[in-house]
Amino acid sequence: MPTRNFSQNYFQLFDIPAQFEIDATLLGQRYRQLQQELHPDRFAAAAAHEQRLAVQYSAFVNEAYATLRAPLKRALYLLELGGMTQEEIARQQLDGGFLIEQMELREKLESLHDLVDPDTVLEHLVAEISGDIKVHQAEFETAYQASELPAAASACVKMQYLEKLLQEAEQIESELMER
Amino acid sequence: MALMQIAEPGQSPLPHQAKLAVGIDLGTTNSLVATVRGGRADVLADAQGAVMLPSVVNYSAEEGPVVGAAALAMASAHPEDTLVSVKRFMGRGRADAQNDAQRSRYRLADSESGMVSFVTSAGEVSPVQASAEIISVLGERARESLGGEIEGAVITVPAYFDEAQRQATKDAATLAGMPVLRLLNEPTAAAVAYGLDAGEEGVIAVYDLGGGTFDISILRLHRGVFEVLATGGDTALGGDDFDAAIVSWVLQELDIPSLEPGQHRALHSLARSAKEQLSDRSSVTLAVEDIVPGAGQATLSRELFEELVHPLVKRTLRACRRCLRDAQLEGVGDVVMVGGSTRVPLVREAVAEFFRRQPLTDIDPDEVVAIGAAIQADILVGNRPEGDLLLLDVIPLSLGLETMGGLVEKIVPRNTTIPVARAQEFTTFKDGQTALAVHIVQGERELVADSRSLARFELRGIPPMVAGAARIRVVFEVDADGLLHVAAREETTGAQSSVTVKPSFGLSDEQITDMLQASFSHAEDDKQARQVAERRLDARQLLEGLESALGEDAAELLSEAECEALHEKMRELYAATEGEDVELMRRLTDALGRASEAFAARRMDKSIKQALAGVSLQELDEEINE
Repeated sequence: MPTRNFSQNYFQLFDIPAQFEIDATLLGQRYRQLQQELHPDRFAAAAAHEQRLAVQYSAFVNEAYATLRAPLKRALYLLELGGMTQEEIARQQLDGGFLIEQMELREKLESLHDLVDPDTVLEHLVAEISGDIKVHQAEFETAYQASELPAAASACVKMQYLEKLLQEAEQIESELMER
Repeated sequence: MALMQIAEPGQSPLPHQAKLAVGIDLGTTNSLVATVRGGRADVLADAQGAVMLPSVVNYSAEEGPVVGAAALAMASAHPEDTLVSVKRFMGRGRADAQNDAQRSRYRLADSESGMVSFVTSAGEVSPVQASAEIISVLGERARESLGGEIEGAVITVPAYFDEAQRQATKDAATLAGMPVLRLLNEPTAAAVAYGLDAGEEGVIAVYDLGGGTFDISILRLHRGVFEVLATGGDTALGGDDFDAAIVSWVLQELDIPSLEPGQHRALHSLARSAKEQLSDRSSVTLAVEDIVPGAGQATLSRELFEELVHPLVKRTLRACRRCLRDAQLEGVGDVVMVGGSTRVPLVREAVAEFFRRQPLTDIDPDEVVAIGAAIQADILVGNRPEGDLLLLDVIPLSLGLETMGGLVEKIVPRNTTIPVARAQEFTTFKDGQTALAVHIVQGERELVADSRSLARFELRGIPPMVAGAARIRVVFEVDADGLLHVAAREETTGAQSSVTVKPSFGLSDEQITDMLQASFSHAEDDKQARQVAERRLDARQLLEGLESALGEDAAELLSEAECEALHEKMRELYAATEGEDVELMRRLTDALGRASEAFAARRMDKSIKQALAGVSLQELDEEINE
């Protein structure tokens, strides 16, 4: 059983710089390298406690990978490393313009059911929301690099709103699937 | 899932003395066997030249079970003795199998193990035994073609198969005297068949459209590590639906009002053959009059056929889109086609357009899984120097807990890579609550009633506190075999309790996809049901709180008339919570809330007075300022 220090943070675990911009290919490679070493299937013949350790290590690596791979989770994790609590992040005030845009997007989503060709419109909406998410990711990165954590947190909250919308779009897509 | 145990080291054979190993695709409808000879993987045919062995076993003959096409021919004469699609029953308990059995009109027996078995003329037969017959026939075929003893087999299983179903598959091979080198997931086998192993890198989509089911898997391959990124599908969609679309068109076109069951079956076969011909021809004429006298014939062009099945193909693409999104990808490097229905040109075109890739179709889509299994078998017996593959698997269905009001809180979402550990904090719901019931459920729906219940346990010994003060941490751990362990612990006292469950025990791949399907199609119902549950919860919380407050203070703070008025409103609200009317519950909850405001204010006054009794104003100031 290789020994590893699991008190290190996720970025240290994969040996990549702790920043929002990541090399996804490198992250994936490091992840698979670690799993090659640690996965319980590699310890099928080992003692029970070693297998148990392998499960824990492997689960830790999976969690770390899932966190760093998804931009929103990665951003939240960076804020957490920066000392912000979830409550502090959630308290960020959003500008009225953003909230109005949200409402408009939601209205568009809700009116999809009445359209003749909802698929194309849905696809456009999803593209629009995904584009907005990218904008706020860039916003997060700039603020985070400038160590302006409250501004970064506010970008994060916006990303959360938009991800929620994407999930709703997915629900609507499933409903359309059944028509 | 213990898929990837490694072949014993040091057992590599002498050079140029290849060991005989086979890959077996033990399918729902057909089964195949393949092997690697002279560096080439090939499927093996029987004496008549047939490659596909229908997965059918008949037990009516005195001389013993009949397998394959001969058994299929006996199906209508001996329905109860002819077992078809036994794969659906593998590793399932009797209760789970009951519905399927009724559909296929089998008689089920109670076996001691709690596993399902069928009553036939030859006695009780388990799905494992029937599968063993199929494996025996394939094993015999391999021995004859290869001229020697078979070292072992790699047998493929659906990615969705749970531990019990995998074990049953292994048992069937053992019963057939076939050593199992490994069980391999079908999509992985298909990817291996295209040589997308050791050397290759990239993301592969495996699009598997069979007779009755559709599966999509997205895998990432990197230096021998197969990472399942996401799986999805639709169990109610397959080539049979294409045939059905043709049949409805024929009925409409030729103005045929109804059919005898026999005619219906015959028309389906005719439709299937038309569909197959349309893969190479631009139009085909269906001689319906041979089946329905006087009906005439119908000419189906490829364009029209494509129009008929287009909505079905579109449904598979929606599942692909969802799967891509679950995998957090925009596209894939390669697309592998599996299943006979992927021969339909429209399917290939639609898939090519969707993934912006020409799908890989060089290997026969019916044979590709068996061929991949044969290659893996060849590696495992040591005929090839390539290293071993590691498979990083995902859980196919979300795991969660029941929370207040019969709602599901998802803890581990579907398509999460295993092993995994996730924790969530919960709290108590009532004042003085000393135990918490932990109910573990599986599925995508929002209500517990629509999800599959996996296990329940109770966390006891929580010290009495006000509602919301306890901190209960519930940890979900799923190991690499897909076994779930759930532990709950009250953080302030350390009281704890736990349970281990097999998350998908007894669930067939079909049920799993059915549940996924249901969660998608019932999103609207769910919303409604969720609203009802939330409203009901609000109302009951108000009622409970008021009940206990009245018990304490009614006599002192309320006149008899006031008390009766409140009770009247409480009865009304209680009656409403028994129903489903969201609006009524909301209205009555608000009304009761307003009606009890005065009482609440008096109680507040009273408790402030009590708290202040004997406390000087100065002390109070200090307390407030602290």
